[in-house]
Amino acid sequence: MINSHDPRMNRLGLPDAPEAPAAKGALDQFGTYEVFHQKKEGAPFVYVGPVHAPEADVAFLFAKEQYSRRFACTGMWVVPTAAITVTAYVGDQESAYDTLPLLPKSSAPAAGLADDTAAAEAAYAAGEEDYDIFHLKKRGKAHQHVGKVRASSPADALQVAKGVFGELRPVANVWAVRAADFLRSEDEDRDIWTTTPEKKYRDAISYKVQDRIEKFKAENPQSH
Amino acid sequence: MYGSASTHDLPTSAATGLENEDPILLAEFEARIGRGEKIEPGDWMPALYRKQLTRMIEQHAHSEIIGSLPEGTWITRAPGFRRKMAQMAKVQDEVGHAQLLYSAAETLGKTREQMLIDLINGKSKYSNVFNYPTPTWADSNVISWLIDAGAIVNQLANAKGSYGPYCRALDRICAEEAFHLKYGHDAVVHMATGTPIQRKMMQEALNRWWPAIMTFFGPSDKMSVHTEILMRWKVKMASNDECRNQFLDMYVPKIWEIGLTLPDANLRKNEETGVWEFTEPDWEDFKRVINGDGPCNAERIAVRRAAEENGAWVRRALLTPKTQYVRPLA
Ligand SMILES: [Fe+2]
Ligand SMILES: [Fe+2]
Ligand SMILES: [Fe+2]
Repeated sequence: MINSHDPRMNRLGLPDAPEAPAAKGALDQFGTYEVFHQKKEGAPFVYVGPVHAPEADVAFLFAKEQYSRRFACTGMWVVPTAAITVTAYVGDQESAYDTLPLLPKSSAPAAGLADDTAAAEAAYAAGEEDYDIFHLKKRGKAHQHVGKVRASSPADALQVAKGVFGELRPVANVWAVRAADFLRSEDEDRDIWTTTPEKKYRDAISYKVQDRIEKFKAENPQSH
Repeated sequence: MYGSASTHDLPTSAATGLENEDPILLAEFEARIGRGEKIEPGDWMPALYRKQLTRMIEQHAHSEIIGSLPEGTWITRAPGFRRKMAQMAKVQDEVGHAQLLYSAAETLGKTREQMLIDLINGKSKYSNVFNYPTPTWADSNVISWLIDAGAIVNQLANAKGSYGPYCRALDRICAEEAFHLKYGHDAVVHMATGTPIQRKMMQEALNRWWPAIMTFFGPSDKMSVHTEILMRWKVKMASNDECRNQFLDMYVPKIWEIGLTLPDANLRKNEETGVWEFTEPDWEDFKRVINGDGPCNAERIAVRRAAEENGAWVRRALLTPKTQYVRPLA
């Protein structure tokens, strides 16, 4: 049996040598969700990373722990990785919109900013939906929310976004996501984000180690 | 914690496989890195780049999750409520680092299931220092301060590397490590400037850990063909010797100033060259331990395996049957 310095380990009664090699089935670690985080009120949502989770609610819970535990935030969105449509990645001086297939002039979509005019209502009735658009300004940085467009498909959403946000160069990469696919924190639940600041023992500045060192040196002038 | 250099062993002289790569794509790839642009998951990349990065990020992830065990041991016995809370928060951070790193490695194509299995079955390595025990609270403090300090030297260097997902993960990790370093330093100083018994306990822990700390950055670099390529590709950002020297330069004076000693009579800085001199670590012993014959190898793997197996039924119960696997995006 494993003999540990940790009594909790000893209580497990673990064998010294493994019996058979361990194995895992596919999806033992679930699928993945991508997480976006709002640093402060009014700031755009920014990509923070993935989590593995069996469904959106659990993804939100894991994401809150993983990404907001140590970094203050005021809102969080999660979305299944599979729901994100991704353009090609281009260089840091270019625009990923230039890699989209060119549409013949007549069929280029009319700019579809999501608003609630009568035209919008008609468009929704005809099957169009809102899409959230994210830009990666520079490789190695994080995708950032730039706004919503109204479109009939992900490919269409990218074309519409090109018309609306295409002037914002450079854009190394674009993500388009159907707005309905997100699980988003609610404004009325904002209390859930107020847990971070009270845990001072996690802040480097709350350790006043230099004072103690100086005191020690003053009392022990010969020992160093 | 625990960056790459300490664990990842380069294939020594074998072929790089570069002759099989498309020369035009390879030139574009190298030009991008040369311009200082990052590589993102959807980009073309040479097989050697993918393989080395996968191995390096995966080993880093394993080191975080295994590294949480020797400190985790002390959560329930940390002296006082505040230190229990802080020790728990630090250990939770380390497990979170593993999550971030597994995801970064996963963007290169290896599933998290396979990485966890390779760890448990002994196929993948983790930082060798965690094959040693923490018999006292002071040993845990030495890890919190000095192993994390060494890891931060590695991580700050790697955060300037060429692979986007690894850089994003390391930026978050480095921000959290600032707390670990101060917390660890505070704990060591508290003991070293405390009662004679506390002081003795800390000195003994430091004596136990020093040989392992000296091996943390890995053997001296032989600058193989691979090392040159990996440095050009910004996979490896600094040589093992550079990292070790930087660590000694930053931390040996801080150890000496609180009246602690180090168990190496040859340890001194050569003021002319700026390079630290020391007794060469026992690399044969290092090899023996990393290959499985250390005091805690079996325990570390057994504990990790038990955690995986005990949680399996929960994961099975939660799994949504229609889930389809998609690699994380970035
Ligand atoms: Fe860490
Ligand atoms: Fe750490
Ligand atoms: Fe650490």
